[in-house]
Amino acid sequence: MTDQNQADRPEPPATSLATSRRGFLTAAAALSGPLLVSPRLAFGAEANSRLTVGLVGCGGRGTWIADLFQKHGGYQFVAAADYFQDRADAFGAKAQVSAERRYSGLQGYARLLQTDVDAVVIESPPFFHPRQAADAVDAGKHVYLAKPTAVDLPGCRTVEESARKATETKRAFLVDFQTRTDPFYREAVKRSQYGDIGRIVCGEAVYVCGPTWGDQAKWLTEKPNDPELRLRAWGLDRALSGDVITEQNIHALDVATWVLDAAPLSAVGTGGRGGRKAGSCWDHFSVVYAFPQEVTVSFSSKQLGDGADDISCKMYGTDGTFDSHYFGEVAIRGKLPYKGGKIPNLYTDGAIANIAAFHEAILRGDFTNPTVGPSVRSNLTTILGRTAAYRGSRVTWDEMMAANEALPADLSGLRS
Amino acid sequence: MGRAARAALAPAVAALTMALAPALTQPPSPPVSVNSLGMRMVLVPAGRFGMGSPAGAPMRQEEEWPHQVTLTKPFRISATEVTQGQWRALMPGRVGSPAGDDLPVVSLGWMEAVEFCRKLSEREKSVYRLPTEAEWEYACRANAQDPAATAGLDAVAWYADDSDGMAHAVGTKKPNAWGLLDMLGNVAEWTADVYAAYPHEAEQTDPAGPASGTSRVVRGGSFRSFPPALRCAARTGTPESYQLAHLGFRVVQQE
Repeated sequence: MTDQNQADRPEPPATSLATSRRGFLTAAAALSGPLLVSPRLAFGAEANSRLTVGLVGCGGRGTWIADLFQKHGGYQFVAAADYFQDRADAFGAKAQVSAERRYSGLQGYARLLQTDVDAVVIESPPFFHPRQAADAVDAGKHVYLAKPTAVDLPGCRTVEESARKATETKRAFLVDFQTRTDPFYREAVKRSQYGDIGRIVCGEAVYVCGPTWGDQAKWLTEKPNDPELRLRAWGLDRALSGDVITEQNIHALDVATWVLDAAPLSAVGTGGRGGRKAGSCWDHFSVVYAFPQEVTVSFSSKQLGDGADDISCKMYGTDGTFDSHYFGEVAIRGKLPYKGGKIPNLYTDGAIANIAAFHEAILRGDFTNPTVGPSVRSNLTTILGRTAAYRGSRVTWDEMMAANEALPADLSGLRS
Repeated sequence: MGRAARAALAPAVAALTMALAPALTQPPSPPVSVNSLGMRMVLVPAGRFGMGSPAGAPMRQEEEWPHQVTLTKPFRISATEVTQGQWRALMPGRVGSPAGDDLPVVSLGWMEAVEFCRKLSEREKSVYRLPTEAEWEYACRANAQDPAATAGLDAVAWYADDSDGMAHAVGTKKPNAWGLLDMLGNVAEWTADVYAAYPHEAEQTDPAGPASGTSRVVRGGSFRSFPPALRCAARTGTPESYQLAHLGFRVVQQE
């Protein structure tokens, strides 16, 4: 009888990046395999202690998700940073963060990283994500990062490199996408990848919603030249947010790249901002992507008006249809159907699942950081579509990668 | 090269590939017997292995809960998926489309695969059956680094990226360390087990799945599948009655 324990052996790695875009950027995990270390190594304190955490970005989503972290029970917020002192103070008071550990200004996060927190939760505007995440990894912190990972190519590459470094230095790095935690999504994607809808020929990704940014348009209209108001109204700033397609619509496109397990080869696009006066972001995009194996995915989005609210992705195969709705049902229809089900509250439940997974990864010493590769891939997919739409012409993936175009933000007038 | 020519060369290609495989990276090939249908039956030793995927493994699905499995008895497993020619020798009626003696038989329900095994058992005076899910994964892993990891998926599997959307003659890709072909890709394969979550027992001996249920475990991925489905640990379930153009089977002979 042979006796061979394969439980600690990595599964086959994704196909090489050099030959295929499938499994894009999963090389760190694939090459290293599951880097499991003892919980004591992973977590300097006793295994049953709570992780100390710093919140970077104390705005709406930051304070909302911090509440979920606290409800988990395995975290304790001991530091906070936001450009705006009032926001750092408001969160700090609520979370019982001492006054001397509430930091503000553009470099406030850097001062937070000098503390002894175990982990940081980065919920700042997307423009800041790559630098803040990279500095956090350099400071030896575990990183929980909101999507999108970055607004441009250099940012995506920085995040990719930071994740590799996190794996090497035994730190967790999780990108918070909700859909990938949901059992219905996971099963439907798995079955589609297995071949249950036949040969996938084409698909649709749609993100339609109303105005999202509350009073931000009003602020910008009243004081268009106030740099701090521009920062507060980051959701309407093209460079700070990455524009609608990257900042929000990434949820729909992430599902498409997930099902196809591939990045697109090229895109043609258009769009505009006919219903929006304030800020620099567009309010709608229309993009047609060409994926490997001659799969076409049409994408459309709008962030205006009323009466339509859906984040969906459909994939059409020769034998069936993958049909997913972030706020509704996920199912496969056709010759080999999957009933799936209605998702109760993915926005919250997905974050709760990721918060738990982040904690478990740190305690288990699992630093393979599997969420990063797919997240960067879908991030780049949005940037490809955005670039094609801005240019109004066809752009290939290879052209985009070679150009390595940055999307610089205007930070003049802001204090460090 | 046309399909017919490729099919005709398939056994020779497989044999040559096995003969040239680096001796240092593979254990000695286990004994092979050939039955009256021309099926090459590879002896698989009893053994213990890690089933499922450890946390953090690339493309891991949550249901691939890692556990240790001991298989107490050796068995023989067909080196390739059952072909249309082998099927036609025992069973009347349809074998799938397109037709070709060396193409895998597809579009058959689970009960039909079981009936084929029964008739084969009668003919051979030996017990043939579908592999259990554990036997299938053990055979796929072959106590070696997964061939997809060392040789690359294109070398070992017909799948979405290289199949042109169709099944191919069996045995035209590289074998695994035990000489088994098309364990990943070409057509997905019925197993004996009812599809359900793994029992959360860290050590299991000769597991055979739940006693009842209507969906059966399907393994291996197919010519339609993407890489996440083409892993030894990847599993899915399909209702017994479904007859699918990408779903066939291979057989086990009890020792």
